[in-house]
Amino acid sequence: MIRIVSAELLLLGKRASTWILLGIWAALALTFAYVVPYVQYTNDPSRASLAELLPESLVGTLMAGFPFFGGVLALMLGVLTIGSEYGWGTLRTLFTQGPGRLQVFGAKLIAIAATLGMFVLVAYALGVVSSLAIAAAEGANVTWPSAWLLFRGLAGGWLIFAAWAALGMLLAILTRGTALATGIGILYAFVIEGLFSALAGEISVLDRLVEFFVRANGYSLVAVLGVSPDDVGDRGPGSFSGPFVGGSQATLVLAAYTAVFVVVAAWLLRRRDVV
Amino acid sequence: MTENTTQLVVETHELGKRYGDRIQAVDGLSLNVRRGEVYGFLGPNGAGKTTTLRMLLGLIWPTTGSALVLGAKPGTSRALARLGSLIETPTFYPYLSGRDNLRVLARYARVPESRIATVLADVDLAGRAGDRFRTYSLGMKQRLGIAAALLKDPELLILDEPTNGMDPAGMAEMRPFIRSLGRGDRTVLLSSHLMGEVEQVCDRVGVISQGSLVGEGTVDELRGREGLWLRAEPLGEAQRLLADFRGVEEVERDDDGLRIAAEPAAAVEINRALVEAGIAVSELRPERASLEKVFLELTNAEEEA
Repeated sequence: MIRIVSAELLLLGKRASTWILLGIWAALALTFAYVVPYVQYTNDPSRASLAELLPESLVGTLMAGFPFFGGVLALMLGVLTIGSEYGWGTLRTLFTQGPGRLQVFGAKLIAIAATLGMFVLVAYALGVVSSLAIAAAEGANVTWPSAWLLFRGLAGGWLIFAAWAALGMLLAILTRGTALATGIGILYAFVIEGLFSALAGEISVLDRLVEFFVRANGYSLVAVLGVSPDDVGDRGPGSFSGPFVGGSQATLVLAAYTAVFVVVAAWLLRRRDVV
Repeated sequence: MTENTTQLVVETHELGKRYGDRIQAVDGLSLNVRRGEVYGFLGPNGAGKTTTLRMLLGLIWPTTGSALVLGAKPGTSRALARLGSLIETPTFYPYLSGRDNLRVLARYARVPESRIATVLADVDLAGRAGDRFRTYSLGMKQRLGIAAALLKDPELLILDEPTNGMDPAGMAEMRPFIRSLGRGDRTVLLSSHLMGEVEQVCDRVGVISQGSLVGEGTVDELRGREGLWLRAEPLGEAQRLLADFRGVEEVERDDDGLRIAAEPAAAVEINRALVEAGIAVSELRPERASLEKVFLELTNAEEEA
């Protein structure tokens, strides 16, 4: 298994789209977590809080982007990892090398899980550097969040990414490609979940339904980690104003989504003809 | 099955694949490929060759029948570990070099990466191995596909139209190479619609039409016995005379001449008899049915049936 995982890591590592997605993620995380708020703060200190830009608020400040644009980028990574194999016809090349279909899929899962881990770490590394730079520029004291909060932030960020990436893989296998899978994924994330969430306040029955959406649980998880609900309620296409659920439920629902998406994707991959 | 099953590398029994209600891609195919032979799988486009090969590789699940590949169920690690394949156009990662593509496959196949240089040299692609796959010509892609199929030094090689897209020089070069791959214990199952290729390369041939096997044997067996071909005037009189001639089993019209089922050695006596009967003989020569003719007869008969 180690050798086929290394083959998958070679495939992801040499692929331009992996680095493009990572670059976009890093740029968006940096811009919306630190650059824009800091510019706002320097222009008008009453419109932004310096405390949120300092190392102590690292987890809360960074996590707001994970369920929003981070999730969509993870979805695209999931789609590309397996959807492109259909387009290039390489799935049949892999399936005739020796390892079974589920082993091939397992290797892809491990490789994508490691890549998502790298996405999370890059965001946190940028957060550390940016918050230190702001603290130095403003002459503020440097205090760090607790190791426990930091660990929960890293794990929570990875779990949110994993749920979206698993959805992307499932859609890619269902549609046997990348284009339709990406379209459906983005449509679902922004339009379907977004519209239902917006209507939930007006139609009470939707409240219960929205509580089980991927985005709702992602936002609920980051809210527990220090993201202010006000911060995510006014973010254009990615805004979310509730309903929020508890941290344990959010963790369980996201883990369940990840597991279900992976199991269904594996079942389809194993069962269907590869032409 | 009459053959010793330990010598059979590929066995299919009433193998079938149906798509929906209307398309029967493969229909009750029973095929035996023996160890060490180069077996040609000949058929027109759409006859079911690629579908059959995909079923042997476990890429497509059959709807009826069964198959054994190297004694194991198709698509299992036990079968796949000992076979190499190239199905239709070679499929690789376009953004990786030829060498990196083979590196990925070597890791998947649990083959030492030192094999990569050997197989690249075998297909004469070492000089371009560092270039991205997307920059390769169709012939180079095909050669990389064969290199990938050889990575495992397989007991069984399944090649589907391996000279597809190659120029005539490349095809001429590739045929003896494929022939050489079948030396020793290795078995090659070669699918093609090119008669010349099959005739030059294969020990035995199976002809498939509309998903069914319609003929099987060595090239010589399929082409039948050598006979005679005659052009004479008047042709009708020659046909009447030869119909009762000693040593002639059958006479039939063939375009503007006669095909005579007789030993080529009988040509002297036939010529004498025709001349003595006042029939002008303009051509009398040994003739054997071409594989193409046999192929067309077999596949047309199946279509008419």
